[in-house]
Amino acid sequence: MSSQLVSSAKNDIDSDAGNSSNSSRVSASDMAFYYERLLPFRYVFQWLNHSPKPQADFVMREFAYEFQSGAYQRYNSYNNLEEFKASVIKSNPTRFEVGAVYEINPSERKSVPKSKMKPVEKELVFDIDLTDYDDIRTCCSKTKICTKCWKFITVATKIIDQALRDDFGFEHMIWVFSGRRGAHCWVSDKRARVLDETRRRAIIEYLDVLKNKGSKRLNVRRPYHPHIQRSYDILKTEFIPIILEEQNPWQNDKAAIETLCKFSNEKLNEALKEFWGDHPDRSSFQKWKDIDEVAKRTLPKSTNFKLIVEAKQDLILETLYPRLDVEVSRQMIHLLKSPFCIHPGTGNVCVPFDSRQPFDPMSSPNLHQLQREIIEYQSNDEDEKISDIDKTSLSPYIEDFRKYVTRLLKSERNGKRERDDENDLEF
Amino acid sequence: MFKQSKRRTAGRKNFDITYLGDSTIESYIESCYNNSKLSLYLKPPIGEITLEEFEIWAIDRIKILNEIESYISRSKTFKEIESIILPLINKLLPLNNFKDKLKDYYSHFILKLCFSRSKELRDKFVKIETILFKLRFNSLIIKEQIEFIKNLNLPWIYIDQLEKNSLNNNLLNSITPSLIFQLNLIDEQSRNKFFANEQFIKIPFELIPELLSTRSIYLSKGFAYIPQFQQLNLLALEFANSLKNSLISTSHSFPSLDEDDRLLPILNHLSQGNQFLSNGLEFLSNDSNENDINAISIKSLEITSNFPLCSTNLLDGLISTHHLKYLGRQQFGLFLKGLGLSLEESLKFWANEFTKSIGLDKFEKEYKYNIRHSYGLEGSKINYKPWDCRTILMKSRPNKGEYHGCPYRDFSKDQLKLKLSNMGLNENEILTVLDINSKGDYTNSCTKVLEFKTKGEVMDHITHPNLYFERMRSFSQKN
Repeated sequence: MSSQLVSSAKNDIDSDAGNSSNSSRVSASDMAFYYERLLPFRYVFQWLNHSPKPQADFVMREFAYEFQSGAYQRYNSYNNLEEFKASVIKSNPTRFEVGAVYEINPSERKSVPKSKMKPVEKELVFDIDLTDYDDIRTCCSKTKICTKCWKFITVATKIIDQALRDDFGFEHMIWVFSGRRGAHCWVSDKRARVLDETRRRAIIEYLDVLKNKGSKRLNVRRPYHPHIQRSYDILKTEFIPIILEEQNPWQNDKAAIETLCKFSNEKLNEALKEFWGDHPDRSSFQKWKDIDEVAKRTLPKSTNFKLIVEAKQDLILETLYPRLDVEVSRQMIHLLKSPFCIHPGTGNVCVPFDSRQPFDPMSSPNLHQLQREIIEYQSNDEDEKISDIDKTSLSPYIEDFRKYVTRLLKSERNGKRERDDENDLEF
Repeated sequence: MFKQSKRRTAGRKNFDITYLGDSTIESYIESCYNNSKLSLYLKPPIGEITLEEFEIWAIDRIKILNEIESYISRSKTFKEIESIILPLINKLLPLNNFKDKLKDYYSHFILKLCFSRSKELRDKFVKIETILFKLRFNSLIIKEQIEFIKNLNLPWIYIDQLEKNSLNNNLLNSITPSLIFQLNLIDEQSRNKFFANEQFIKIPFELIPELLSTRSIYLSKGFAYIPQFQQLNLLALEFANSLKNSLISTSHSFPSLDEDDRLLPILNHLSQGNQFLSNGLEFLSNDSNENDINAISIKSLEITSNFPLCSTNLLDGLISTHHLKYLGRQQFGLFLKGLGLSLEESLKFWANEFTKSIGLDKFEKEYKYNIRHSYGLEGSKINYKPWDCRTILMKSRPNKGEYHGCPYRDFSKDQLKLKLSNMGLNENEILTVLDINSKGDYTNSCTKVLEFKTKGEVMDHITHPNLYFERMRSFSQKN
């Protein structure tokens, strides 16, 4: 488990070295500066602890450190906020990851039998990564992203967020920019935290329409399930600007034939190939329309045109439906980078964002930029007493997170009171 | 075998007839079945039964559970299991009268004791008992099913017509695929009609992960809407959960049984031998073929063509090297004994082969005792039984020059391919067997081979080489 994580993390850094400038590199002293002066430990603590006072949700929770050398240290745990903060500052990892809450304190795991090391609670998490869209995005590839392809993530977060709220009734979820090319979602509702792996798997299978992301094999039946229908309604309006106009993946005739000529009607496939052979280099938008026209022109009246319409609907889902990393959501013990960490490759802060508001990863806070902001602020006005955070563009993100955590803690308190009341009634 | 003396129950702390109150055992047991033909086995059984009943009832139930398990492990569908198991249930565990119910009720609780001791056993028991429950529920008529559910007082909330109307299309669209594929309602009209009359139950989504992952139900604000026709899933879940919990509490109370020297041996015997109890021993007393099994005929094609692969391999090894090492001699010798080869014929057979490489003197000195021993004539004079697959798989794997073990486990893929084609399987059949074999349950591979060799006529799960031989031979003789 840990060795796997180590190697994947290493790949991250290696692949980064090739294609980004050295200025985005983060040094150990940059990190120390950030941990000491900017990272909002208090809110991260409260977010994971669900209460201002330390309780099992935090104390029994696993944290993992990743170091510059690529070393990976699992099973750290802390008794309170101060210990947590002091340890991160002292160890100065390139990033720290959040794991599950265990039956016993993870740092004491060696003194108890292995069977005791069972995860009991963990936020329900989702991970969406732009690299899974490489077959359809034309603007960038691999670790690069731009505002255009971030729209895939925007659409994906919208769909997942709505399903979690409307279908599952979850309320407390936060989306976090992963620092480079993806986003994580953390669901903190009590009901979500206590789910076992069978149920996590059921949820992810409910949400995962593309069996094995990227294989693009759609796993839906007709009529569309209400969740699919709702997702489709969102996607079909986004499909024209994002896919047909901006990404334009099917201007390339070869790609178009590969992806689009897969109708169950062989005659239509052949007719399309011939038409695009005669009229090369038509845009994706034109080609999408061509399908209808070619079908009308060449197929007999008796054809079941409904099947072709349905196949086009499926295609929209195949290209735009969120591509989820199933394992991350399913396994309780899976670790995920904490919000407000710095992505070691880019220096970007993993800031939380609201899926219902526009978010631009290209202009989100970056560590070097934050350092500059602090320096420049000081030169403006030296008398005023003001915290480092408030001198930077990170401040509004922290403020939003604080509000979110406050709401979470409040509902947790109410929930507890309700549960207590129930008990009172029983006895 | 057991002392059957009537003990007085007075003064035994675990036997308290008084809490029956005014009711009789009969009415108590009936109440456990809610006057229907099914039970969730929630209340403990009371009253006395004999040790003999204790054992026989348990064995009968184990036979059914074993059969069910064997069919699941070969991934048979629920329908297939139903068609095979129902007659067996009607024979061994019917639920028609009080006596039947008593037996069913007790045997369930006795096996609970056997299977509560490890998580593995508990999970297995829950899984199979739940299937038994589903089989029985399905065999009830609709009226009985409704009656049964009504009496359970489960916390299911049926939604009212108003809520149903407001969710109309969402509900219908969610269940349409199931209506088509599960209930065979192909045309829209019959689906609409069915839907109009269908009631929906509203429950937290956590309770039905299977229906959730297949998107077979409508989900809103954390609640799943289950159509009535899927309620067996819920019921089975209810059954499995309560059984799981009671197994855990049974396992906690197990230590208090330690002092009971009458039950523990039976329980140990039941839980250890459960694999083999159902389809073992009977063929050992099968003497009908005894006459034609002798030192010469045992090597004839008429006999050897019915060998399972492990025995063929041992025979090949013996013929080519004129020798077998200890474990090989044991496995093969006892297998032959199981076929009905007498001690005299057995000695002749082994001597014939061994003396091709060593002198008769040496054979008599070094091997004769060993053979007599396995027939129960030397040493502790135990009449050894032929090894079943479990025993064979538990022994150490064969080294170079050894031929014992299970070829499905021990052979390389290519070796196995060759051997299977020697046995007369065609390309396709071989691939199927190899595929099953790669899953690591080797008795399934052997079972499949027999199924192919008998053109699907023999379907028993093979857990013993002698069982394979017996089934294969009677098939050959018939054809």
